[in-house]
Amino acid sequence: MKKIPPLLLISALMLSGCGRKTESTSGAPARPVVALVVKTLNHPFFIDMQRGAEEAAKAAGVDLVVQAAEREIDVERQMQIIENLIQRKVNVLVVAPSGSREIVPVVVKANRAGIPVIVVDTRVNAPALKAAGGHTATFIGSDNYEGGKLAGEFMVQKMGGKARIAVLEGIPGHETGDARLNGFRDALKSAPGMVIVASQPANWERDQGYNVFQNIMQAHPDVNAMFAASDLMALGAIEAIAAGGKAGKITVVGFDALDEARAAVQQGTMAGTVAQDPAQMGRVGVEWAARILKGETAPADIAVPIQFVK
Amino acid sequence: MKPHPMIARNARQFGTFAVFVVLCVVITILTPHFFTVSNLLNVAQQTVINAIIAVGLTFVIISGGIDLSVGSILAFSGVVMAHTLRLDWPLPMAMLAGISVGAGCGLVNGLLISYGRLPPFIATLGMMSVARGGALLATDGRPVSGFAESFRWFATGQVAGIPVPVVVMILVYVAAHFVLKKTKFGRYTYAIGGNEEASLLSGVPVRLYKIGIYAVGGGLAALSSVLLTARLNSAQPIAGLSYELDAIAATVIGGTSLMGGQGSVIGTLIGALIMGVLRNGLNLLGVSSFIQQVVIGVVIIAAVLLDTFFKQSKR
Repeated sequence: MKKIPPLLLISALMLSGCGRKTESTSGAPARPVVALVVKTLNHPFFIDMQRGAEEAAKAAGVDLVVQAAEREIDVERQMQIIENLIQRKVNVLVVAPSGSREIVPVVVKANRAGIPVIVVDTRVNAPALKAAGGHTATFIGSDNYEGGKLAGEFMVQKMGGKARIAVLEGIPGHETGDARLNGFRDALKSAPGMVIVASQPANWERDQGYNVFQNIMQAHPDVNAMFAASDLMALGAIEAIAAGGKAGKITVVGFDALDEARAAVQQGTMAGTVAQDPAQMGRVGVEWAARILKGETAPADIAVPIQFVK
Repeated sequence: MKPHPMIARNARQFGTFAVFVVLCVVITILTPHFFTVSNLLNVAQQTVINAIIAVGLTFVIISGGIDLSVGSILAFSGVVMAHTLRLDWPLPMAMLAGISVGAGCGLVNGLLISYGRLPPFIATLGMMSVARGGALLATDGRPVSGFAESFRWFATGQVAGIPVPVVVMILVYVAAHFVLKKTKFGRYTYAIGGNEEASLLSGVPVRLYKIGIYAVGGGLAALSSVLLTARLNSAQPIAGLSYELDAIAATVIGGTSLMGGQGSVIGTLIGALIMGVLRNGLNLLGVSSFIQQVVIGVVIIAAVLLDTFFKQSKR
């Protein structure tokens, strides 16, 4: 028994260390707290979103809490985080759902607690939400379908209407990835010479993008164009292309316009990428959170513009 | 002063429990949102999935083994149940199908370990991949959703004011405690973990019991998938990634020795609660998720250090 106190001490110290941070902010008269819950904080897209949200929070005079699960796909963990924030009685929740349907039960919980929910980046599945009797304040995001279409149209033009295309998909069943692919495929319909010879998921990850594309090149050596539903996968594939000695022979189009992808476009290893503006999503999300607290009503849909970087 | 014999015998558990209490007290002092009925029920519900998987792990680890496949088994059995539900099977049949798949995977683990003589690490590492692949194959990688509203009772229902998942957890723990302490199955689990050779020589059907232990592990992972699927209103083929590590952590924090032969489900419950309370408290305090991971890691290490120190001081 006598060895227990050190552990108690450690946990007490750790927690008091954690608590000090909140104490200093709660010393001032209570400011409204806006919570931004993203999918993960180890992806540049969501780090940009966090940055935009922080800027807006400073300007609007609200406190911002940013939380995320360790992994993008961990819907249960994201749900737990939101439940805990509801317990903490934050004033507004701004959420980028890890799962379009899986988020529904916790949106309903927030509704019951009277906390407005602003959805960013990925839509909540509307029929599922309606069936559960839940509602959200607004959706702020880009039209991923339009983005995919932009990418497809660019590729048709770039390849002169004739290409053998490989596609790297995100995690199957993700609304975001599905919308991008549908947009891309629809853009190709006008050009019968554009043939998709392989389409495989690489789960949004860079290393999987590398491996999956390497395998695709083995199976289809004639591939001369590639669309990846995210830049991370595209960047992985570009490494595989270089390693396979095919640099310059395969036209790569990505999605997200990460800094690294923009650099790749400059260098010519990537033909183009679709630019969303995650910082703007974060910014607008928090701005609307502040406005909702003042009693304003947000429109159901707030579009964040998309552009093509080439 | 000599401690009361009961305290002396269960000192390790009291130690873990004391950590748990101090943790709760500290969080209560730091935030007014922690010690409320609704938040405590919230924490309990968040702990259920890990706590139930960890019961299976406790049996496995006491027997001197390890099971890395429970997270994948959870996903596989979850999607099987979800599919059968969508085919309009009655709920008990669908649950039975899911749990059979889970226990079946565990059974295969047990066979590979006892008759194939594979180290548990390798056998369950393989099963981790096979069951995950099975879940992805069965669903084409997509989540399965759209169940009858009645199924959600497993997430939102209450029995005497206590949420159904928490009731299920309590029942599992009572049953597991009884099995471990009062039955032959429990005694043999300890014996195999304590000294497999000696157990074999004294006539314990080691192979048979090992198969049973891993089947229990798989079955409990499947049971937790019923609750997880109801909670998310969706069965995901990628559900439960790395849940095995959370469950191992809860078991170890609870004082079960990775060397085998020692441990208890009560300790595991406290271990799972410590993890749940810690995550909840850090969320309530608005601590960054990166720091949260560090803190949880430190607690796991501290708990095992405590265990080691305690054993040394007893010597």
